[in-house]
Amino acid sequence: MMKTVRKCYILFAFLTFALALFLSRDSLGQAGNPVVTDFETRAKGYAKERERIERTMPPLSKQATPEEVAAHKEALAKAVQQARAGVKHGSIFTPEAAAYLKTVIAQQLDGPARAELRKEVLEAENKAVQIRVNYAYPQSQEFLEMPATLLMALPQLPKQLKYRFVGRNMLLVDRENLLIIDYMMNAVP
Amino acid sequence: MGDIRKIRSAFIFLLLFFLPQAFFGQQLTNGTAPARELNLTLPNKEGSTRIMVFGDSGRGSKEQYELGALMNQYHQSFKFDTVLLTGDNIYYEDTPADMKKKFEDPYKPLLDQGVKFYASLGNHDNPNQRLYALFNMNGEEYYRIEKGGVSIYALNSTYMDKRQLDWFTAELAKDKAAWKIAFFHHPPFSSGKRHGSDEDIRKVLVPVMLGGGVDVVFNGHDHFYERIKPQDGLYYFVAGAGGKIRKGDIRKNSPLTEKAFDADLSFMLVEIAGDEMHFQVIARNGSTVDSGVIKRRD
Repeated sequence: MMKTVRKCYILFAFLTFALALFLSRDSLGQAGNPVVTDFETRAKGYAKERERIERTMPPLSKQATPEEVAAHKEALAKAVQQARAGVKHGSIFTPEAAAYLKTVIAQQLDGPARAELRKEVLEAENKAVQIRVNYAYPQSQEFLEMPATLLMALPQLPKQLKYRFVGRNMLLVDRENLLIIDYMMNAVP
Repeated sequence: MGDIRKIRSAFIFLLLFFLPQAFFGQQLTNGTAPARELNLTLPNKEGSTRIMVFGDSGRGSKEQYELGALMNQYHQSFKFDTVLLTGDNIYYEDTPADMKKKFEDPYKPLLDQGVKFYASLGNHDNPNQRLYALFNMNGEEYYRIEKGGVSIYALNSTYMDKRQLDWFTAELAKDKAAWKIAFFHHPPFSSGKRHGSDEDIRKVLVPVMLGGGVDVVFNGHDHFYERIKPQDGLYYFVAGAGGKIRKGDIRKNSPLTEKAFDADLSFMLVEIAGDEMHFQVIARNGSTVDSGVIKRRD
């Protein structure tokens, strides 16, 4: 009887472990994927460079006035633009990364069940954004909500960077100086 | 003779045009409003936690100023010290002059009396609003505050990534507060025709809130007021009528609606005392469009 009970416990533990493994599986093989690793390394590289630049500037107080915030943003944007002058489109969204990310986006946004979500992405009030590296995302344009389920599926970015959709294109935008760091055309199916 | 008539007509025209503007314009900029009979339905108990909630306000419109003046009038009787902004706090440009026109001036009397505004980010908000001192975000896109034993979580629904979700989950797990409130821009449940329920946010966030013991959720994005029927015991309010109203936007006979109002701007007053949360929703004309009491989840 005790042997039977012990066998049941072992079987139960095994099944729980197998279920946990199954649920945590990465359906697109993100973990250990060299394309994803390279993409994340490049994104972190930008974040590090940005931090280095910011350390050369006076720190911004948490009680900063709107004027101080605006001045800091402008100064940071100028400094980053200078440091990245000549950086071309594709420095982070390499062709391999773009191909991989388009697959992820297609999985999350394609199909009739996601039509409403796709419609919101495509109809956002941000058509005036000029999609060029080192250009600023205008403050007057809408910062469209990034679908939460998509963000869960995409590689995690450093906190200084955000994915943003403009039409069918996806951008990497600096959350503070609002510079477009890179972009990917026709990302949305 | 003809010239005299023309001059007289022009004079009458100018008088009729400028006088009302001079009258109302002054009223809009000094925080006062035409006197209305206030009707506070909240218990106003000693020691209760008192909050005001609204969103989608930051346009600098005449209506926003009028609502701000009414908020100040109610504040004389109901001393809330905390305001939760459900996003779209500043529309379009946000230069220092815009911050003044679209936020500091409409709510100046409240700010001068030490009322603290806590903002969440909407799709029209520059993420750098987290650095704006008067929004009390402490430099963060999402954060937690505590008021009188009530835990209040501000989330950024425009960018709900894994980092934020993990933070929220972990914070809720260790939170022993009796009341837990979350406020963020995109409503998981809404009967709006223009936007409606954000099913993506619902899918990702609702399980965390249910599992983490959140009691009440305040949202914006849809420009009206709606009290949603409790969903698995969790209460949701759409409070997005702080600056512009989308008349007739609420779907009639929506199975979600407990009470709704989309005819004019409005704001919510909330009082938490013990296990009860009392609320009152006040329209721009001073009328109460909803009120009630809810009990916290066990």
